[in-house]
Amino acid sequence: MSYERGLCNFCGTGCGHLLLVEDNRPRGVYPLPGHPLSRGRLCVRGWHIHELLQTPERITEPLVRDGNGFRQVSYQEALAFTAEKLRKFAGEEIAFLGSPRVSNEENYLFGKFARAVMKSNNLSLSSDAGLEESAEVLLAGCGWPAMTASLSGLREADFILVAGGDLTRQNPIIASEIHLARRAGAFVVTISPRKTQMAKLSRMHLRPEPGTAFYLLLGIARMMLDEGLVEREFVESRIENASEYMDYLLSLNIGEIFELTGVDSQEAATVARRLAEANSAYGFYTVGIQSLDRRTIAALFNLFLQAGKVGRNKGGICPVTGISNLLGSLDMGISPRFLPGYLPAEDESSWKKLEELWRTSLVPREGKSVASCLLDNPELKALVVVDHDEEIIRNTNRIKQLELVVYFGSYENAFSRLAHVIFPRTTYIEDDGTFTSSERRVQLSRKKVEPPAGVRPLRETLSSLAVLLGHNWKYPSPEEVMKEINRVIPWYSEITYRKLEDRAGIKWPVDELHPEGSDFLKLEELSGKLSFVVEHPGPSSELPDLTSGEKFHFKLVVGRSNYFWHQNSIMKRTFIPRREYNALLLLYPKGFVEVSEEDARALGLREKQQVKIISEKAEVTLAVRISPDILPGMLYIPYFFDEMIPEFLHRQVAGLEKSEEFFLPVNLEKVV
Amino acid sequence: MYWLEKNRVRELVEKLSREYAVFGPRYDEVSEEVIFDRLADPGQLNLQAPISYNPPKYILFPHYEEILKYTYDRKSKQVAIEKFSKIQPKALVGIRSCDLTGILCLDRFFLGQEFVDEFYLEHRKKLFLISSTCVRPFPQCFCVCTDSGPAAREGFDLDLTFTGEGYLVLAGSRKGQKLVDELKLEPAGKEASSLRKKIIGESISSFDKFALENKAWISRATNRLTTGFVKPEVWEYIGNQCFECGACSFVCPTCSCFNVEDVNRIPQTDRVRTWDSCSFEGYTKMAGDHNPRKPVEDRRNKRFFCKLSYSQSKKYLRPGCVGCGRCARVCPGDIGLPNVVTYIRREITGEEDR
Repeated sequence: MSYERGLCNFCGTGCGHLLLVEDNRPRGVYPLPGHPLSRGRLCVRGWHIHELLQTPERITEPLVRDGNGFRQVSYQEALAFTAEKLRKFAGEEIAFLGSPRVSNEENYLFGKFARAVMKSNNLSLSSDAGLEESAEVLLAGCGWPAMTASLSGLREADFILVAGGDLTRQNPIIASEIHLARRAGAFVVTISPRKTQMAKLSRMHLRPEPGTAFYLLLGIARMMLDEGLVEREFVESRIENASEYMDYLLSLNIGEIFELTGVDSQEAATVARRLAEANSAYGFYTVGIQSLDRRTIAALFNLFLQAGKVGRNKGGICPVTGISNLLGSLDMGISPRFLPGYLPAEDESSWKKLEELWRTSLVPREGKSVASCLLDNPELKALVVVDHDEEIIRNTNRIKQLELVVYFGSYENAFSRLAHVIFPRTTYIEDDGTFTSSERRVQLSRKKVEPPAGVRPLRETLSSLAVLLGHNWKYPSPEEVMKEINRVIPWYSEITYRKLEDRAGIKWPVDELHPEGSDFLKLEELSGKLSFVVEHPGPSSELPDLTSGEKFHFKLVVGRSNYFWHQNSIMKRTFIPRREYNALLLLYPKGFVEVSEEDARALGLREKQQVKIISEKAEVTLAVRISPDILPGMLYIPYFFDEMIPEFLHRQVAGLEKSEEFFLPVNLEKVV
Repeated sequence: MYWLEKNRVRELVEKLSREYAVFGPRYDEVSEEVIFDRLADPGQLNLQAPISYNPPKYILFPHYEEILKYTYDRKSKQVAIEKFSKIQPKALVGIRSCDLTGILCLDRFFLGQEFVDEFYLEHRKKLFLISSTCVRPFPQCFCVCTDSGPAAREGFDLDLTFTGEGYLVLAGSRKGQKLVDELKLEPAGKEASSLRKKIIGESISSFDKFALENKAWISRATNRLTTGFVKPEVWEYIGNQCFECGACSFVCPTCSCFNVEDVNRIPQTDRVRTWDSCSFEGYTKMAGDHNPRKPVEDRRNKRFFCKLSYSQSKKYLRPGCVGCGRCARVCPGDIGLPNVVTYIRREITGEEDR
C-alpha cells in the first residue's frame, strides 16, 4: 500500500492526485500537494475516483452480439469478425466516435485508424459542444486554438470574467482559483441568467435574459468605446479589421440592447471600465459539457481583443474543457474539421502533408460529425465508438439500423448495449498515456495497476485490426505513439515521456522554440495579424426573436452542468458522488422543471406539483421545483432524464444545441 | 528517558519492519512535499520533514475498506457471511502530536461509546506508534491553541524529541519499552527531562515567528459557537464558499464519519466502508426530500460545531480540532477552520471583509 503520483481523469482541469494502490487495486486517493494548478485540492468527484477505478462493473472479455444478448469470444475471433466486417465498408459508410476521456496516444491512433486505415473523415467526439467552435473562433482571431493564458498566474489577476455554465460545478478547482484570485483583489464578474455559485462568489453578477449573452457582450464592448477606453493605437495597428468592427459596434442601438438583455447599463459600464483598466484580465467560458454558442464566444474574444488583453504576458481568453482530455482529443484531430495539429480538413495541402507523414494515401474528403451522419447520411452503415459515457444517446433508432457498431470500452453502458462487437479496454491507470488539460498542460499518467486478465489497451486492439486490414502498424508502447505524435503535430514536437516524467505537465506549444512549453500566447510570435471574429448569426438567432414571443410566456433553458455531472454515467459507479448527484433522480424520477420563486407565487404553484410544459411542437408533464436561482420568465430543465429528453426535446429540436444560449419558447399549465 | 543516536533511526525502522508494515513521512520527488506513506525503504523516512500533507488517519481508518462479504447459495438457500480480516500490524514512525491526538479522538469515537467498532479495534491493536516532537512549528500550525502539541503527552509507544545530535526517547507503553530494551538504548541522563521541556518551550515560543498562516482565536470562537451567537449572515458567507468537496473531513485527523455500501462482485457481495463528510447534502438527507441541514451553510455550521463546541468536546474530552491546519490547505473555498474562526472574530471585532 503506497501513494503513487497521478492525475485525475474527470474534468478538464487536470488536477494532480496521489492514488493509494494496494494489491493491484486503487484503494484511496489524496490530492497531490505542490501541483502547479490544483495545489493540493480535489473536488467531490476527484476525491472518489478510486471508487470508480475499482468498480466490478468492467468489460473484461470481447463480446459479440448473439440475438438479444452477447456471447463471450476470444480476441482472435472478435478481431477476425470485426476486420471481416470493416473490410466491406467504404469511408463514407462508416463513422468514428472518439472519447474525450482517453489519452492523446489512444485518440491519435483512433484518428489515424479512421483516416488512414478506413479512409473515413467522419470522425468526431461525443462531447465536443463548443470546443470546435471555440477553436475555430480563436484560430481565426489569433492563430491559437486554445487557452491563450495560463492558469498558474490567475491569483495575480485584476479582472476575471466568467460566462457560460457554472464553473464551480464543471471545473471546481479552476473556480476555486478564481475565487482565491477574487479574495486576493481581482474583480470577478459572472455572466449567467442563473444565480450559480460562481455568481455568488463574484463581485458582480450580470443576469442577461436567456439567449442574450451575445448582445450583452456587444453592449459592454460598445460601452468601452463610448467611454473612450479603447486603446485605439493598439487596436488599429495590430488588428486587421479593427475599423469595420468598431463601426459595427457604433451602429448598434445601445438602448435596445440593454432593454433586450435586461441588464443595467451602468453595471455593464463598470465591467467595461474594470476590464479596460486591468493589467491582467482573464475571460473564462466553459466548453465540453455545457458551452456558449459560437457567436457569443466570438463576442467575448472580440471584447478582450479590443481591450488589448489578448497576447499579453498576463491573462487572456480561457475556454475551460469539461472532460479530462477534451482539448487533447481535438489536438489529435478527432474532428471532421481538423486533422491532427489543427490542419484544416478543407485545405488539400493539409491532406498532402498528412499523407507524407503517414506514408499512405488518404481521401481528402470533408467528413461529418457522427451526430450529423446519424441524422442525415443515409449511406451510413457502420459506427466505431470509444468509451461513450453519456447516458442519453440520440438517434438510437438510427444506430439500431446500422450493420455494424463496434464498441471499445472499459465499462458497460447505454452505448455498448447497442454494439455488435465489444472490445474491453484498459482504464487510464492500466497503461501509460498523456492527457491535455484546459490550459494546454500535457501530463503523463503512468500505469499503476495491471488490467484484469485479458484486457488489452485500445492501442493494441486497434493495431491488431489495422494489421488484419493490411496496414503495418507497430506500436509496442504509448511512448512510441508519442514519438510519432512528435513528428506529426508541431506543437507537440518536443514532448517526451522523459520530460514529463519528473514534472506535473508541460504546456504546448512544446517545440524547438519553446522546449519547456509556453505559458502564454505571445503576440510577437504570431505569424498573422490579430483579427476580430465576426460571426454569421448563430443557431440561436434562428429563433423568431429573443423574447419568448406573444404566444408563449416562458423561455425554457436546458442545462447540462448543474445537479449532476455528465448524465451521471460514470458517477453511478462511485458511492458518494452517486449519492450526491442521484439524490434528485430519486426525488424527481420523471424529471423536473425549475420555476422561479416569483412565477411560482404568481401562478400559485407548489413544490413537486405536476405541470405541463407546452411548446410549438410537443408537450411534457413534469414536477415543479421552485428555485431561487433562476429569473422570472425562465424555466429550466436538466438534460439527464432519459425518458423525457428524447421524447420532448429531441423530437422538436433536431440539432439540439448544447449551448447555454439555446432556449425554447413554451407555456406552463397546471395539470388538473 | 533514553537516547537514540541520529544514525540509529534506520536500525529502529528495520527492526520494526520485521513485524510491522512501516509508515512515515517521506518526500515526494516531484512536488517536494511530504506525504505520510508506506516506506518502501527505511531510507525514505525523513523525521526532520515538515508536517505531512496527509494525516496518517487512513492507515487505521482507510478511505475504502471491505468489512464483510456474503454469498448466497441458490441451492441450499443459505447466506454465508464472513468477516474480512486482512488487517496487518502497522508501525507509524514520526507522527506529529496533532495527528496522535487525532488518533486518540478516533479511539473515543470508535471504541469509547456504546458500540465498539471491531475493525477499528483490530487496526488499533496492531498499531505501533512513534510520535515526534515538533521542535519548531510549521506555517499552517495552531496546535498550541487546541491543546494538542507541539509535543505528545500520551498515547504513544515511543516518543522522539530531536536535540540536534540525536533523539530523546520516551517509552509510553510496554511495547515501547520492549523495543527500547531490544535496541539497548542508553538512558539519556538526568538532564534529559529538562532538555525536552526546554525544546518544547522554545518550539511554543517560536509560533509567533513561524506559524504565520493561521492566527486562530479558538477559545472565543468555541464560546460563540456553543452559545449560538454566530449570526446567520456569517454562516451564509461561509456557506457560499463551500464547494462541497468533502476535503476538510477527509483530511481531518479527527473526522470519523463513514458510509457503508454493498458492492456486488458476483458471486460474492462485499460490504464496504468508505469515508463520508457532513458537507454533503446526501449525508443528512432523509426520505421524502426532508433534510434537517439542507442549505450548505447549515452543513458548514455543523462541521465547525463538531470541531469546536463544548458539547462535542464532551465526546472527545477535548476540542474536536487538533490544530494541524490541513483543512485550510485543501479547501477550494477559503473556509478552513482557522479562517472560519477569523470570520467569527471579524464579527466580534467589526473588521472589514477583504
